[in-house]
Amino acid sequence: MAESNADQEYLMGLLVAVSRQDREAFHELYQCMASRMFGVCLKLAGQRETAEEALQEAFIQIWHHAREYHRDRGTPLGWMMTIARYRTLDLMRARKVRQSSGDQPIEQMHDERAGPLDESLRSAGAAELTGCLDELTNAQRDSILLTFYKGLSHEELSTALSSPLGTVKSWIRRGLLALKRCLEQ
Amino acid sequence: MKRTPERIESLAAEYVLGTLQGRARRRFERWMMESVTVRQEVWYWEEKLGMLASEVPSEVPPVSVWAAIEKRLWPEQMAANDAPPQGKNWFWTGWSLAATAAAMVMAVLFLQEPKLPVGSQLSGAIVQANVSDPLWLVSESAEQRLLKLRPVAADPAQSGKDYELWIVPEDGQPLSLGVIPAGGVHQVTLTDKARATLSSSRTLAISLEPRGGSPTGAPTGPILHVTKLYEL
Repeated sequence: MAESNADQEYLMGLLVAVSRQDREAFHELYQCMASRMFGVCLKLAGQRETAEEALQEAFIQIWHHAREYHRDRGTPLGWMMTIARYRTLDLMRARKVRQSSGDQPIEQMHDERAGPLDESLRSAGAAELTGCLDELTNAQRDSILLTFYKGLSHEELSTALSSPLGTVKSWIRRGLLALKRCLEQ
Repeated sequence: MKRTPERIESLAAEYVLGTLQGRARRRFERWMMESVTVRQEVWYWEEKLGMLASEVPSEVPPVSVWAAIEKRLWPEQMAANDAPPQGKNWFWTGWSLAATAAAMVMAVLFLQEPKLPVGSQLSGAIVQANVSDPLWLVSESAEQRLLKLRPVAADPAQSGKDYELWIVPEDGQPLSLGVIPAGGVHQVTLTDKARATLSSSRTLAISLEPRGGSPTGAPTGPILHVTKLYEL
């Protein structure tokens, strides 16, 4: 959906209007973005109630802080998706909510990333990121994807992967640094 | 803890990923406040890792989320819309008792469609039984893209239920225009998508849903009324 430059410009225009307290632009922004953001909230929280509240919190934040967006923070779409993710993580931490499917096999995590995607989502950047993720060791990649999509802590990851805490910490730290080196090439 | 570039790099990545928690997270947030370099490192990771989020399938949230956002941001306005009309309760009660199976529904729509030639309008009526009063009147202010649904003789939905307004596309899922408040004006800003869909299908529907609207994003209750619009 909102992935082309024209769409990003449109979202940018809406954000500017929202920063001027334009309620209709805010509603339009909600209609453009709510489903995308809710998908992320739901996947992360694993249950609807937390996801719905997180989506609500995210849009309240966007209403109050639209003026804080700038180009260095990525695309308008990415910025809003990040807010959705942070608000979900906040609620999960506050409530220690963990989805019942939290123990699902890691293969499944991997499959979802590689699953059938809306073609328009395959932006150059996403392809590059996917390429670099493929260069990590399996353990590093799985650790990063599990934490990203499921919001696991180091301790939970250690349990999920049946590996010592120090080991999973190092997988994540080294994996992230290797990822950055690859992206910077 | 010293702020070496390597440490900032590492902590920023874990901050965005979510594994930096507790005291370490709060200390890092303080670093972010103090240093633009630290913030830029965080933005870098938000953008890069954020691409993983864009690969997650969309999921339509329930209408109640938007209602809750409006209620929190603009409680005065929402309270005004929610309040039942003063002194009219007897009428609504009487109406709902009388108007059951033989309930008639008629909505007249005046809808300015920008894609049509200037001055043209869409209008329509829903009639379920042979009575003449409309339940709701609908109008759109073209430059504000605001669709207004004004109750005329509509009875409130039964306890624990709400009416929800939909655009019915030519194919695919109906597009929610939100829950119709009892006794209040229902205003919807039409998105480009909504306007395009409506101008091609010209069909609106009203369904009976649980309080707060359909939990799934698609109609779950009985479709009470369907109307086809006509160009004047």
